[in-house]
Amino acid sequence: MVDKKKVAIIVSEGTFDKAMMTMMIANTAVSMGMEVHVFATFFGLKLLTKGANPKAPGMYRLFTGMFKKKMKAVGVEDFAVNKKMAVELGVNLYACSSSMGIMGVTEQDLDPGVKILGAAGFLNIAADTDMQYFIG
Amino acid sequence: MQKDETLDAKGLMCPMPIVKLAKKIKEMQVGKVLELIADDPGAKEDVPAWCSRTGNELVEMKQEGKVFYFYIKKKAE
Repeated sequence: MVDKKKVAIIVSEGTFDKAMMTMMIANTAVSMGMEVHVFATFFGLKLLTKGANPKAPGMYRLFTGMFKKKMKAVGVEDFAVNKKMAVELGVNLYACSSSMGIMGVTEQDLDPGVKILGAAGFLNIAADTDMQYFIG
Repeated sequence: MQKDETLDAKGLMCPMPIVKLAKKIKEMQVGKVLELIADDPGAKEDVPAWCSRTGNELVEMKQEGKVFYFYIKKKAE
């Protein structure tokens, strides 16, 4: 068995593709025995709110339903289901404290289990990780 | 190949076979063998990678057409 790897992911966009990538990478990593930390900032913060339903970007917005259908056909569930799975599997989710003010998100809006952290707090965690990803 | 449980992941694309594999193995006892069936082309690399990362043993892997059969022995908690 290899050493337990630690992964840090920062997500700064809230579109469907970035949302799905974030959760799929997080869920895969945690399924491989890795410790995963996801920091959502700016538009990414919206993903950690209750009932978050991200749409495909720009002109693809109208095709969101089609993308979801194609993914479902190969066993990939909705964003909400993947987010719930992430929490159940032990992925650590953090909401950027500054972005909460900017994006108008209150603590009550956040999903249960999401921790609130500032940049320094997250960088402190990220400093000890083996892999760092920025989804934005 | 002797197996204690089967997980049919046909029709599921990466990363679902791996996520389901991890969940299933968690429920099993150390020493038991899981047969994982998948037709996701990525599974060919994903499953051995998962096994080496988590300390579980890929006892055997075979392919019939587009379908893979993995026999994974749980070695670690």
